[in-house]
Amino acid sequence: MKEIIKLGVILLIITSVAGLILGFTNDLTQGIIQERALAETREALIALLPEAEDFAIIDDEEMLSRRNILEVYEGISNGEVIGYTVQVNPQGYDGRIKMLVGISGEGRITGVKVGEHTETPGVGSKIADASFTNQFLDKSTEAEFIPTKGGETDDQYIEAISGATVSSEAAVEGVNSARSLFEEVLKNR
Amino acid sequence: MSVSSLFIILVSAILVNNFILSRFLGICPFLGVSKQVETAFGMGMAVTFVMALASIITYLAQILILEELNIQYMQTIVFILVIASLVQFVEMVIQKSSPTLYQSLGVFLPLITTNCAVLGLTLINISQEYNLIETIVHAIGAALGFTLAIVLFAAIRERLELSHVPKAFKGFPIALITASLMSLAFLGFAGLV
Amino acid sequence: MKPNRIFMKGLIYDNPVFVQVLGMCPTLAVTNSAFNALGMGLATTAVLVGSNVAISLLKNFIPSKIRIPSFIVVIATFVTVIGMLLKAYLPALNAALGIFIPLIVVNCLILARAESFASKSSAIGSLVDGAGMGLGFTGALVILGMVREWLGAGTIFGNVVMWSSFEPARFMTMPPGAFLALGLLLALFNKITSKDLNEL
Repeated sequence: MKEIIKLGVILLIITSVAGLILGFTNDLTQGIIQERALAETREALIALLPEAEDFAIIDDEEMLSRRNILEVYEGISNGEVIGYTVQVNPQGYDGRIKMLVGISGEGRITGVKVGEHTETPGVGSKIADASFTNQFLDKSTEAEFIPTKGGETDDQYIEAISGATVSSEAAVEGVNSARSLFEEVLKNR
Repeated sequence: MSVSSLFIILVSAILVNNFILSRFLGICPFLGVSKQVETAFGMGMAVTFVMALASIITYLAQILILEELNIQYMQTIVFILVIASLVQFVEMVIQKSSPTLYQSLGVFLPLITTNCAVLGLTLINISQEYNLIETIVHAIGAALGFTLAIVLFAAIRERLELSHVPKAFKGFPIALITASLMSLAFLGFAGLV
Repeated sequence: MKPNRIFMKGLIYDNPVFVQVLGMCPTLAVTNSAFNALGMGLATTAVLVGSNVAISLLKNFIPSKIRIPSFIVVIATFVTVIGMLLKAYLPALNAALGIFIPLIVVNCLILARAESFASKSSAIGSLVDGAGMGLGFTGALVILGMVREWLGAGTIFGNVVMWSSFEPARFMTMPPGAFLALGLLLALFNKITSKDLNEL
């Protein structure tokens, strides 16, 4: 019994020292990591809403509790809100897909950018290609987007990538989540 | 969350993102314990058991301890310790309760601690932000995929034993080339769902 | 054993990948490009050197009954530190290696060196052993990465090395290509090192 306690204490000491070292390194690197992430996010935000001069994060419990919504930013120009960028993470084929959706104040999609994802390389990963994401460009947010394989050309139809139906549907769902957030909440702010 | 999304997670973990053949997790036991179908199946079952339990416990540890105390940087240490003690515990329980099961599984248990498929699975569960149910389904899928791959591979290797292989290719090289063909076959599952 | 002998053992004669066939998961997973392979190899080397030295210094303090969990904690600490540093200073490499950074913990090579060498040797010997084994591992990964990148993308370390009409075999950078390339390289290594070269 006494030996077990001794062994336990030694293991505890080793683990505590490990914890201390890690806590220290964490403090040291965390600032740099956060700064870098912030700079990257900013770059992506500017690409989606080029007219905005400044961005502010909207911290609203109710918005963030909506389906797929991760972060909401408002783009500001001359002191006025000219649009929003919404970060969403729909469930894809294998894991969640991080996407940014830019929406102008008039209710048009200004851009879609697919970020981190783990879709199948060469198949599902094509959702990140401009040929897919540009389909959303400048379309109205009033109607829900519908993925299609049939080649319907109306505005709300988005041509799915052949062989990657699930990934395409997920990406469309992500944009729809951002779209409905705009229509139901952001528009009336 | 719907049943269909759970089904996608399951099928994707078994076939499309097979832990061994496409994610390269658990290669050591895949090459080491695959000379006979029977032992391969035993290894598969032992891994299944540990994977399911480890996924649940690490999920709870992540939510209740690491995130609560904001010490996510302890994740790797905590997870590997959970897995190591779990393996030890499972070994003791099986030894006491079922000597026959212990005889067939026992030898594989210590190997599972350093099986990167188990630690890999628990880390993927967290990074994919799965909830508890999705975590369990993903663990089952991963374990079934692991077992499927290792048993199929063992069946091929049993036959390989009987065939003439150039000297330089004996052992690991021919095993790896066999695995390459299997992996190629599994690529066919991409875009399945 | 002399330090240079220990070093050469790790680098070539007992090469972790080609001779001992250890640490296969990262060997196969991150060698789709030479750069990733180099990054993974160096990260592993750093962990291996650090954990070898730490374990050698702690060997009289750690009771043999709990040595394995103690080793794992030491290794995991180094892995996490390296992971944080990569994330802060080399985020692109960190993203490319992804989950295989934390998985260095379960690289059998590191635990094997801790158990069979560092826990019985001096700190300096352990340092040399860690460096030799680590660089041997790195070298094997880089060779594999170069072969796969060359055939699969027509480049080596991102530099185009093939003529412009060369159609790269994407297959080589995908999972089956990893198994195939490693299998062929192992066979080649066996052939070169086997005493009887006439027999194939």
